[in-house]
Amino acid sequence: MRVLSLLALLALWQLAAVAAGNPSFVPAPRAVWDQLVLLSTTHDGVRGYSGHLLVEHLAISLRRILIGSALGVVAGLVLGVVLGTVPWIRLVAEPVVTFVRALPPLAYFSLLIIWFGIDETPKLWLLAIAALPPVAVATAAAVHGAPTGLVEAARALGASRRDVIKDVVLPAALPEIFTGVRLAVGVAYSSVVAAETVNGVPGIGGMVRDAQRYLQTDVVVLGLLAIGLSGLLIDGLLRAAENRLIPWRGRA
Amino acid sequence: MSSRPETAGAGEEVAAVRLHEVEHVYGGPGGPVAALGPISLTVPPGAFLVLVGASGCGKSTLLRLVAGFERPASGTVRTGGAAPVPGRGAGIVFQQPRLFPWKTVGGNVELALRYAGVPRAERARRVPELLERVGLHDVADRRIWEISGGQQQRVAIARALAGDDPLLLLDEPFAALDALTRERLQEDLRRVSAQTGRTSVFVTHSVEEAVFLGSRVVVLTRRPGRIALDLDVTLPRTGVEPDELRALPEYAALRAEVGHAVRAAAA
Repeated sequence: MRVLSLLALLALWQLAAVAAGNPSFVPAPRAVWDQLVLLSTTHDGVRGYSGHLLVEHLAISLRRILIGSALGVVAGLVLGVVLGTVPWIRLVAEPVVTFVRALPPLAYFSLLIIWFGIDETPKLWLLAIAALPPVAVATAAAVHGAPTGLVEAARALGASRRDVIKDVVLPAALPEIFTGVRLAVGVAYSSVVAAETVNGVPGIGGMVRDAQRYLQTDVVVLGLLAIGLSGLLIDGLLRAAENRLIPWRGRA
Repeated sequence: MSSRPETAGAGEEVAAVRLHEVEHVYGGPGGPVAALGPISLTVPPGAFLVLVGASGCGKSTLLRLVAGFERPASGTVRTGGAAPVPGRGAGIVFQQPRLFPWKTVGGNVELALRYAGVPRAERARRVPELLERVGLHDVADRRIWEISGGQQQRVAIARALAGDDPLLLLDEPFAALDALTRERLQEDLRRVSAQTGRTSVFVTHSVEEAVFLGSRVVVLTRRPGRIALDLDVTLPRTGVEPDELRALPEYAALRAEVGHAVRAAAA
């Protein structure tokens, strides 16, 4: 069934390419495939695209996503716990988080470049800032809504305030936190292209941007496919991790 | 209200639980609702007190006051001579098991031991011991959802016993179980409590359960709950099989008396 729908999609794509009649507008699947081969090899003394193979572009972007969203997730977790447990901080900080969440990453990227230059630092900051709000909001909500019955049971056993947070509130919040993490990685993913608009090569976003400048539409499409497919893969990995780490989800 | 422990008089034991002129009020949408009292009650160490009454008579409120989860609107509550604090001096079993699903069965008991300050090496030894005591074997590594509701409630009891607190509070712990499981847990609780000799306060709406478990039965009136009947149960605590006990004529007489009081109090 999946194979069939995939084939149908390919056929539709081919049809669209033929109908458009302009490979710079809609490149045919075949052209994109050729680019995949070209970009994955050294041809005429040129290595891949701009001296880097496609997988290298992708790997560098993935590394940025990984580090950036890891920073954002950790910071979001800490912030979320604080927001969920200290009411007055929640009152002050929640609008700020919502404000940042509403900003498109490209908008504050300029500021980050002014502050941190054009190398890795601003890119990682961008991804971290983009990843932080979903985790913070999910964690805060889950911590705030911790199951009173279990909290009470722990207190009855002599748990301190810290024990209750560590042993009850956080584990109980884990399913929602995980949903927040998946959202955060998704946001980091969609922000990586923005992060690589400045000095982004090597990097899959930088590659797409360069290709756009030279109207290499087939490379653009290839880059999009690479981002999308690796995104699917990462989300699948996160889901698998979730099932392993939270076996009680939906059971208690 | 002072939290200073009351010093007992010469040769006098400190009461395990002492309620003096306790009243409790809940804030409702239509103004405050009197939930309980005034009620005065003294439970000596080692007693198994059962509070019985219809739903909404304030018996669970009373238990929450004794546990220290809530403070009375007026009057004083003392456990072991001091104002109660959750997690100090009393193990609690709730109507729902309230086990932590992210821990195994053994992990739940182990956590209780850790909170009680038991060192790690000793915890490993005491977890199976506590589980055995409530009639559970080979379940320490199981997940909470892999064992039955009755077994979960047994784990909850083991967990409440872990701290070796002088007081055990039980809030309708068997109400959600099927009749057969309930009976078996009642029998085991009766045995465990006779073995450990700790003071217990057990809340229920079941007359049968009250008479079977209690060394003393207190019937509460409907809201605001007051004492309608306070009865010492003279049935033997040990050395009698549960079925023999239920077959005793005194047992039937007690059950009739308590049942009558509960119906009269609820009317």
